[in-house]
Amino acid sequence: MKITRFLLIRLAGMIAVLLLVSLATFLIFYILPANPARTECGRLCTPSELRDVRAFMGLAQPVWRQYLDFLAAIFAGRTYGSGPGAIVCPAPCLGYSFQQNRTVLSLIGQTLPVTTSIALGAAVLWLVTGTAAGVISALRHGKATDRAVMTTAIIGVSAPSYLVGLLAILLFGFKLNILPVSGYVSLLQSPAQWAFHLILPWCTLAFISAAIYGRLTRSQMLEALGEDYVRTARAKGLRERRVIVRHALRNVMIPIVTMFGLDVGALLGGAVITEKVYSMYGLGALLIGAVQTTDLSTISGVTILAAVFVLVANFVVDLTYKLLDPRV
Amino acid sequence: MRKRIVLSGSAAIALTAVLAACGGANNASGPGTPTISAADKGGTLTILDSETTLTLDPAQSWSLAVTSSGLLWRRLTTWKIGPTGAPAVVPDLATSDGTPSDGGRVWTYHLKSGIYFSNGQPITSYDVKYGIERTYAPALSGGLNYQKPLIADTAGYPGPFSGKQLSSIVTPNSKTIIFHLNKPYGDWPWVVSTTSMAPVPEGKAPAATFNSHPITSGPYAVQSYTPGTSAILVRNKYWNAATDPNRSGGPGKIILELNQDPTVEAQTLIADGPTAQNAFGADFVPPAQLAQVENDPSAKARLVTSPASPLEYVAVNVESPKLKNLQVREALEYAVNRQAVVVASGGPVAADPATTLITPGIVGREPYNLYPAGTAGDPAKAKSLLAQAGVHNLTLTLATPNDPISTAISQAVQQAYSAAGIKVLIKSLSANAFSTLATGNSASGYDLALSSWQPDFPSAMDNIEPLFASAMIGNGNYNISRLSDPKVDALINRAEGTINEAAAGKIWAQADKAIMGDAAVVPLVYNRNSFLRGSSVGNFYIGEFPAYPVYTAASLKQ
Repeated sequence: MKITRFLLIRLAGMIAVLLLVSLATFLIFYILPANPARTECGRLCTPSELRDVRAFMGLAQPVWRQYLDFLAAIFAGRTYGSGPGAIVCPAPCLGYSFQQNRTVLSLIGQTLPVTTSIALGAAVLWLVTGTAAGVISALRHGKATDRAVMTTAIIGVSAPSYLVGLLAILLFGFKLNILPVSGYVSLLQSPAQWAFHLILPWCTLAFISAAIYGRLTRSQMLEALGEDYVRTARAKGLRERRVIVRHALRNVMIPIVTMFGLDVGALLGGAVITEKVYSMYGLGALLIGAVQTTDLSTISGVTILAAVFVLVANFVVDLTYKLLDPRV
Repeated sequence: MRKRIVLSGSAAIALTAVLAACGGANNASGPGTPTISAADKGGTLTILDSETTLTLDPAQSWSLAVTSSGLLWRRLTTWKIGPTGAPAVVPDLATSDGTPSDGGRVWTYHLKSGIYFSNGQPITSYDVKYGIERTYAPALSGGLNYQKPLIADTAGYPGPFSGKQLSSIVTPNSKTIIFHLNKPYGDWPWVVSTTSMAPVPEGKAPAATFNSHPITSGPYAVQSYTPGTSAILVRNKYWNAATDPNRSGGPGKIILELNQDPTVEAQTLIADGPTAQNAFGADFVPPAQLAQVENDPSAKARLVTSPASPLEYVAVNVESPKLKNLQVREALEYAVNRQAVVVASGGPVAADPATTLITPGIVGREPYNLYPAGTAGDPAKAKSLLAQAGVHNLTLTLATPNDPISTAISQAVQQAYSAAGIKVLIKSLSANAFSTLATGNSASGYDLALSSWQPDFPSAMDNIEPLFASAMIGNGNYNISRLSDPKVDALINRAEGTINEAAAGKIWAQADKAIMGDAAVVPLVYNRNSFLRGSSVGNFYIGEFPAYPVYTAASLKQ
């Protein structure tokens, strides 16, 4: 009963946040000095043509009406224009991109698997390598291994992803010629090629993030190893491995999981630079293109989806707390 | 295909300036060029492109006649662009460039025999008419629509989906099409060469889905198109080479790899690995890679550089209260330091100083300099003009797109004007915000605007009319100098109504000088663009115009 109530309250809160995010996105673009109908109408567009295009795109309505139309379309779909020249966006309609002549949902459907593939693979890689490096570093505190791991971590923290990506391409793609430098292959098409094409993006992202996780794990671990409960565990005669994994690491993981949830949520909204460097058309590349061309529908759709990811990731983190820390 | 890149006459954002190899015109026959004859057919050509999407509906395409849209679409006329020589308009689907009557108000075309769509259907004059009518549908707006304001009696026409037809395009039979224009127009043969004039089969081109599954008329058909990933073009088996001497139709298959990072793209082509040998880049080579190419003989032999072409300029907002006085505007002409702009553009190999408006290589271009001040400018002369005008402490706002090269150029302009005692405040804006400000209906918000321009087709009309005709002020149009000079308008009207190209060119040259006489624009430089190809790609060249490779000529070594 308690958990049901918790879930319902969180769900209501998430819907409220989503409505606010969608409203804010709408208002920002209403206020901005850009005119999507103008962009769509092209050059040599007469004022009367511009009026027609505005009406066709649904931009001639007052902003509150446009917002309600947008919300209604999610449940009921939407038709732009009428007759044989009409453009239909079936429910759930997150908008229609006039720039790309496609529904926003189909654009998201195409780009989401790319971003998910990059984000989840990289996340697993950096969580495992980052925490392992942090733990090893803490256990070898002050020794050569610790210094080597932390120096690598500092390089990772300081390096911009664009630079790491380009260097990785130059080394593994052009110099050694062992890995592909661009393009995405669908998992359904060929799982082996999918992973092969993702090795460089995963490693690039993981190198940068693992460094942060490694440093965080190390400091948390050092702190935990000095705590009374660890001393007690050791005094009870528990094996060192059990002390580290079951007692110290479990506590260390609480802040790590918080950060991990937020990072993965944000990354699912688009690994912009990595996608660009490796020529992969994910949500980040979609969003950047939409911003450059003032493609309001796509921007709204992707922003709302990104908000969903962050909210869901937070929600999962909160649930994970309950597993990791019985006091929560 | 729509390429929202600068230069194509339309979006006038300065992204053009790049470093380029010495030697100006194309390097088509460099030492690394494979010997490829027109008979070389087959192979898979890859085109690497940073664009994420393509517009495969001709009604909405901005692509030039000889780049990607030329692979897919035939029009009544097209361009003949050789490695050397002036660009020319030539018949494509039609048997001639067009026969004018009624003083250039009416244009008649007859179609060739043996012309087919990629679905095997014969191409008729009805399809040409239908394709043009589609451009009037609000769902298909945004293309390169030079024809729209010219075709007579189109006011309120909602496109063919309404069941209505345009009475000003007459098709007496399946082989003849007659256009009635609302004024004499000598450049009509160029206008009908634009992609939005391509034929589209009636009843088989829904507005919502034609872009994904187009029926084409050029040497290639679209096998698949995945936005952000690739478009795969295969031979249009119904294309008849005997009717189309202007396209090589060389490669058996063409893959457009989209969403490429320009730096990685250039590195891939420089490395010339097995997959890159059959490829060329659709993007300008970035400055860092261009420097790398200079030291790599293999890559240098595969670099193709355009002649000086797109114009980089400062539009002087003549409606600004501070710039109403001609002497003040003349001071801006004398004070500019073009040498500094050349450096900011990437050096002498990337740009040539410009003192005129019409693109080199286009009929009507005459070199002259109305404000001789040397390439470094003459701040003393500018100061004395300002003093004569009684203007002191002049502060001007320069609107500029926020890309790196535009920023560097605007800073060079700022420094030059500072030497003449003119304070310039740089207003750096995103491309969209810039065009909203500069092409909007209000003249306030900027005194100067940094922009760049390349015509959509090689006519001096497209250098002058969009940028300086009084009808092109505001409403999203590009007369961002906001010049309204009856003398210039009269010259534009006269030149447009002149059918003879050479005679029209002379009038355009007068318009060029008249505009410079108004000091409504400060030409800065003509930019050059550089592109890389793989070692197996041949017939890869840039003509005198446009500053892009001729995709329709490229072939592969067999």
